[in-house]
Amino acid sequence: MDRKTYEKLFYDALRIRMVEEKIIQLYPSDKIQSPVHLSIGQEHHVVALIYHLKKDDVIFCSYRSHAAYLAKGGDLRKMFAELYGKKTGMAKGRAGSMHLCSPEVGLFGASAIVGTVFPHALGAAYANKLKNNGLVSVVISGDGATEEGVFHECLNLASLKKLPVLFVIENNGLAIHALLEERQSYSLEALTSAYGIPYYLVDDGFNLELVWNRSEQILSSIRQLLTPAIFEIKTCRYYEHVGVGLDYDKGYRTIEEYETWRARDPLIVNKELVDEFQPQIEKEISEAVEFAELSPDPPKEELLTDVF
Amino acid sequence: MRFITYREALHQSMRSALEKNCNSFIFGLGVTDHTGIFGTTLGLEGEFGGDRVFNTPICEEAMTGFALGASLRGLYPIHIHIRNDFLPLAMNQLINCVAKYKYMYGGLFEVPMLVRAVIGRSWGQGGTHSQSLQALFAHIPGLTVVMPSNAKSVISTYDYVVNHYRSPVLSLEHRLLYEYSFTVEPKSEEIINPLTSFLVKEGSDVTVTATSLMVHEAKRAADFVKKHEAIEVEIIDLHCVSHPDVELILRSVKNTGKLIVADTGWAPFGVCAEVSRIVASADPSMLSRPVINLSMAPTTCPTAKALEKYFYPDFGDVVHAIYTLVFETSDHGKELPSEEHKASQYKEFKGPF
Repeated sequence: MDRKTYEKLFYDALRIRMVEEKIIQLYPSDKIQSPVHLSIGQEHHVVALIYHLKKDDVIFCSYRSHAAYLAKGGDLRKMFAELYGKKTGMAKGRAGSMHLCSPEVGLFGASAIVGTVFPHALGAAYANKLKNNGLVSVVISGDGATEEGVFHECLNLASLKKLPVLFVIENNGLAIHALLEERQSYSLEALTSAYGIPYYLVDDGFNLELVWNRSEQILSSIRQLLTPAIFEIKTCRYYEHVGVGLDYDKGYRTIEEYETWRARDPLIVNKELVDEFQPQIEKEISEAVEFAELSPDPPKEELLTDVF
Repeated sequence: MRFITYREALHQSMRSALEKNCNSFIFGLGVTDHTGIFGTTLGLEGEFGGDRVFNTPICEEAMTGFALGASLRGLYPIHIHIRNDFLPLAMNQLINCVAKYKYMYGGLFEVPMLVRAVIGRSWGQGGTHSQSLQALFAHIPGLTVVMPSNAKSVISTYDYVVNHYRSPVLSLEHRLLYEYSFTVEPKSEEIINPLTSFLVKEGSDVTVTATSLMVHEAKRAADFVKKHEAIEVEIIDLHCVSHPDVELILRSVKNTGKLIVADTGWAPFGVCAEVSRIVASADPSMLSRPVINLSMAPTTCPTAKALEKYFYPDFGDVVHAIYTLVFETSDHGKELPSEEHKASQYKEFKGPF
């Protein structure tokens, strides 16, 4: 990876982190009246992976999707306006943080219901395959989503129909407050191999270069073979499941684990780059927040439009 | 004018969908087997290819989400279930996603699709092959629910939704109707929105609003009471239960003062409750007698014939309800249709499925 690419990834990841930090700062004001599931700690692998996607490649996300929205090219102003519940939000204030989308850059939706988006990516992949447009479909979900029945249905279907789809599993080891050991009897690798789907793993999701290299390899293979693959990335959710607090005092996980990840978090360690990029990002974020603040609320007539 | 069966109308509609809408594709368990969803998809795989007509693994949720993803990318999915009792396996996708996609994303997306599902009845269909779940779906904003009661309805509705309608549609087809023949007039070129209710027959004494198979039971009842007591029944086929023609219903009830709601499902929180709500909210004083609801018995369907015969509403129940309203007592003493007469309509359905 050359210096320029590294800096781009770093910039994009830092931008997401700073957006999340802005949300943390704004949250007590009650201007954002909606649940937020922060991507903070999980930005690195997202920017490294999405770097290799074309604008028209299709992605679907879980409710923890601020990172993917921004990395794919979603409009920051429309995102803040959406969080503020304003008319200028990307979904006119109807979707909120949990359902970000941006069809103009290929983000076709997110779901707050765990595991729900897996089959959407398959349907989109089927359409891409029929149209022979060379596009891939990517679905990003957490480790907990692999416990849903629909995930298993989708592994079978993706393999059976030979769909050009990448399942990205962000493994932060937690489902709300439940540890992986409490929830899973299977190894994801063994499971996916039973369905004949190639499995890839990166143990350190904070390693931009590693994720970037591996993503390139996986995605070019999918483009070439037009068949599915699964990519598990181990990472760390810094904050609580929903909301803007740290919850290491609640007894279900340790502060030591957090400290271990932080100690090698490029967005913390590489102070030089942070200092270099911060002013420009800060400016962009302030403008976006100001846009949201000044935007009008949706009018009452909007309540009943677009139902059917 | 010509005669065709409900089954033939469905097959014709499926074929026409594939022919007219090049983005459409049909899938579901059994779509390409030798039975072809009771004959309604037979031969289509051979004619249009396996990419557009295919069998699926048994995974209702994944296939429904798959339909949504394909629809988002410009395809028109037609997803078929041999019983609507399998739809609960797809509820997450239907309720949390398909119904909400357009609204929740501020109108940025549309997810047009057609989901066909069959309602079973009689011959021991039992607890999970006999339900009529329209109320569950019509309750959810964003889902358009139709219950075509005849071949013409099938043809006009499916042609409209596949080629001209941009919202998801769930169609519940009654298994017993598959065997019925209907007259079908030559199709007019004009595009008429069939997502509403229809006046089946005018009459000044009693209004019967009905769904699906119960439209036929209402017609049989209307013939019976006209012949025996010279009673004139007005029948409204609710058809699009999520979007009933409220004006048509109110105008009729205002005229007759008497209302029967005959539905294939359960009454509480269902179509019966909804039509009663529509009338009560508009002007309850237009009713000269209390509303009568005809529905499945409020329990799970038993398989034993001895119990099953009391479970489903039939044409005898409609006749009894009409006499009860007209003669202002349930103790009217009038002759009701014989068991043989009631069963004659169903003789062509001999199960098992």
